[in-house]
Amino acid sequence: MTQKQPSWHSVMSYARILKRVIMTLDVFAASEECPDVPTANQAERLPAQQSTKAENRSMKRCHPILMSVLLVACVAPDVASGQERLRDVIDRHVAAAWESNKVTPADPASEAEFLRRVYLDLLGIIPTYDETTAFLNDTAPDKREKLIARLFDHPRYGLHQSDVWDMVYFGRNPPGYGTRDRDGFKNWLKEQFAKNVPYNVWARDILRAEGNTVEQGAPMFFVQYKNAPEDATQAITQKFLGVQLQCARCHDHPFDKWSQLDFYGTAAFLARLRVVDVGNKGNLTAYPIGVKNLGDVMFTGPVQQDEVGKKGEPVKPKFLSGDSLAEPELPEDFKEDRNFKSGQMPPKPKFSRKDALADWITSENNPYFARAAANRIWAQFMGKGIVHPVDNLSPENPPSHPELLDALTQSLIDHKFDLKWFVGEILNSKAYQLSASGTGHAAKPRWYERARYRPLSAEELLESWVRASGYDQVLEASNQKPEERLKIRGITWDYLRRSFGQPSDGVGNFHGGLHEHLYLNNGQVRQLISDRPGSLHEALAKSEAPWEERVERLYLQVLSRKPMPDEVERFVAFLSSEDDPRGRLHDAIWTLMTCSEFRFNH
Amino acid sequence: MRDFCPRHEHLSRRSLIKGSLATAAGGTLMNWGGLFNSDVMAEEVKKRNKRCILIWLNGGCSQFESFDMKVGRPTGGIFRETSTNVPGTRICELMPKIAQRMDKLTVIRSMRTSQIDHPGGIYLMHTGWSRAANTQFPEIGAIIAKYCGDAHSDLPNFVKISSNGDAGSGFLGPQFQPFKLGRDGELPNFSTSPLSETLEARRHSLRDFVESKYAENHHADPVRMHREAYERARRLNNVRDTFKLDAEWENYREKYGNSKIGRRMMIAARLVEAGVAFVEVGQSGYDTHADNFEGHKSLIPPMEHAWAALIDDLEERGLFDDTLIVWMGEIGRTPNINNRSGRDHYVRSWTTALAGGGVKGGLVYGESDEDGRDVKDNKVTEGDFFATVYTALGIDPATENYSGVRPIPLAQFDHRVIKDILV
Repeated sequence: MTQKQPSWHSVMSYARILKRVIMTLDVFAASEECPDVPTANQAERLPAQQSTKAENRSMKRCHPILMSVLLVACVAPDVASGQERLRDVIDRHVAAAWESNKVTPADPASEAEFLRRVYLDLLGIIPTYDETTAFLNDTAPDKREKLIARLFDHPRYGLHQSDVWDMVYFGRNPPGYGTRDRDGFKNWLKEQFAKNVPYNVWARDILRAEGNTVEQGAPMFFVQYKNAPEDATQAITQKFLGVQLQCARCHDHPFDKWSQLDFYGTAAFLARLRVVDVGNKGNLTAYPIGVKNLGDVMFTGPVQQDEVGKKGEPVKPKFLSGDSLAEPELPEDFKEDRNFKSGQMPPKPKFSRKDALADWITSENNPYFARAAANRIWAQFMGKGIVHPVDNLSPENPPSHPELLDALTQSLIDHKFDLKWFVGEILNSKAYQLSASGTGHAAKPRWYERARYRPLSAEELLESWVRASGYDQVLEASNQKPEERLKIRGITWDYLRRSFGQPSDGVGNFHGGLHEHLYLNNGQVRQLISDRPGSLHEALAKSEAPWEERVERLYLQVLSRKPMPDEVERFVAFLSSEDDPRGRLHDAIWTLMTCSEFRFNH
Repeated sequence: MRDFCPRHEHLSRRSLIKGSLATAAGGTLMNWGGLFNSDVMAEEVKKRNKRCILIWLNGGCSQFESFDMKVGRPTGGIFRETSTNVPGTRICELMPKIAQRMDKLTVIRSMRTSQIDHPGGIYLMHTGWSRAANTQFPEIGAIIAKYCGDAHSDLPNFVKISSNGDAGSGFLGPQFQPFKLGRDGELPNFSTSPLSETLEARRHSLRDFVESKYAENHHADPVRMHREAYERARRLNNVRDTFKLDAEWENYREKYGNSKIGRRMMIAARLVEAGVAFVEVGQSGYDTHADNFEGHKSLIPPMEHAWAALIDDLEERGLFDDTLIVWMGEIGRTPNINNRSGRDHYVRSWTTALAGGGVKGGLVYGESDEDGRDVKDNKVTEGDFFATVYTALGIDPATENYSGVRPIPLAQFDHRVIKDILV
């Protein structure tokens, strides 16, 4: 890559200059290729599409009638308002894409399939036996819509959504000292979801980072990027705007419009942040984010052209929209202490660049913010972003359903970032409520022609196992309570986290390996399958009902569905043997708790 | 699905399968790197039965205290040179045993790489690529597992013993994830079934019914992956004894030197002999920003003793010519000695070494300048290095796998294979 522009480069510390200097031109020649980018020549060969086509051909003849029904149903307007409901807009666009790509959708999801899916998606746990039977026996035609509405008010809704979004902002192994214990952040986020605070409001709070990490919680996001405004720039643009700026850190972006000045213009908003230690609150150290009045990002040009001793020039803050920040001038003789006093809340600055950035990012006029959110939330429930991966809304990575993404974005803005409404519309769409069974190998079907497969997170697995085995009832029956939700006797959260913490390869492909199965086959799941009072094992062992009924109970409690006749037959034969009946019961519960059907949300 | 069967039966059946199924490559999935020519390629390479052992020097071993001495120069440090069994080639006195086996080694004194810090360097020297936001590059171990490993083996094909790197199998898919042994090569937690063979088989029969039934109308990749990984975990039980090497260690303790790294290298030799395609053994502590000389004086002797034993052991067992030994860390160390007698990170000019399968012995490739500040001759980048390693193992480094819809070659786009060091 040739560099026509003058040399630029951020200089945040002397050590860093030295390192960069040591590695001169040749070194960077090797790393300069952005390997993410296929060349035009490479991009022509897309076997993915070929194979999707083949897949589609095989699905083609399944449901011509369903398709036309859907098409008709989708254009029916909302009677009251005269306006088409978002769920119908979704189905109209999705069905149109099926048609133009000659894809036949799967059957609608069965009641049981829908029930388990929506519980896991909204609450992060499978339904209880009672909840399952109640739903399956309910004959109301609108029971699905009612269930969705009810689950939004469930106490676990905020909890689970905060788990999901905590992973967006932090991941399992976040950088930064003190970021591992972020209950303050999670609890705060849980409240935001439970109270349905608009997304733009709480996103802005994360970026404004007021208060401290323990009592207010939100400032924890920035603790990850202590003294690293460039890292914060990459993370913020990616997570909040779906913009990938990292290439522009070292050189102008090779195929997107971003230049190094865009990168450092954004970093300039964040160069004055300090992580201050104000002492312990409870058993955690609290950190507020202090903002200095002085301090700039220094910039020397493309890393390739770096030289020893080159100091660079300060870069003024500039929004990605191209506008410069208007900020009040400081008096010429203005001085301030080098550091904030530890143990004390840092004083407010005369002017906060960070707040100006937070306001710009979360403004509804921001061309990226609502779009990135609509796409990310869609992906959370539908498996794949309309732009995928979700954090790369580059023109090089076009949406699969452009009009649908526009519609989702606009309605998110029109409804003032009301997430319960927005998610509710997605979940009430027919597209969300398709079955996961059928041909095709993709975990996340390209045209949303059937439901996706999503591995359960470590949290979802643990809590669903506890519920399936009846271990929660065991604890209740013996007047015990787990001290915390992830601290359950017999289970080591650390092992679970290691075995199931990162089930995907970082770009969303399932990567459960050998270690996961060693845990399932030989590990602690055994402990949960207790035969103490209250447990599923005890209930089934004690029951005098025919085995057929007991097998039905087993399936309903663990897999949230009734067994098929051949399953009843096989399980009854297995369980009714005189040889080690208790052990066999344990085997049967274990089998359903570790099988593929349990492992995924589908 | 496989029934429970004793190990001796399994081995013979495996060789039968190997002989009769020409196209039976594992993982032919789109998103997990299945590309037609790539799998044909995998089969071709497997016929040659190549293996690889990576000796990983975590923190970055000093080239000045190992293979690239600058005696008498201000950057030279305190150690003396020793002559080797290759006339004219001299290395550090800390490696007398390796010096006597220099005719087996190819040393590259002209490495120049792009990542100077540990996390970036560890990623780079495990995958051959710098980190990228949207592409999860596979480690060398996963690549060799795919192209040299036996997909039908009960043994995992990518084993790590107390080493570093967390890129795993990346876009190659979960079947090539590393199997990590403990610090002394012991099996990880939960490797041992708590059930007797009979009870395990009983439980398995029911689970097998459930999984087969689900697979009838649920064809998605993750479901299949989950099923296959279960099978592999279960089959691992068949080969548990392969990892029971306490008694073997008693016999070889002396030979390998009574050290942690010695034990790890002996295990690597035994696993490679048992058919594991790639074993990585780690030794930590080379990040000697202070007391560089003391540090290397304590780290190198046990490592070089074990390494020499490993070479001898593989030769005695007839495995040396098919097993490539790669010796490297993530970075080199600075020519300048800092005021704490330490050396800092340096990637402008540093050293790696290869031995065994596919490479010549008794060769020094490339040269650094008189103070070791810069590459003087025959620069080798990470792309060149990985391309050469893959070529030595019979794998074409331009072979492409798919990350999503993007074709990604094994080694960086602009690599150069160093033909001079290949057999």
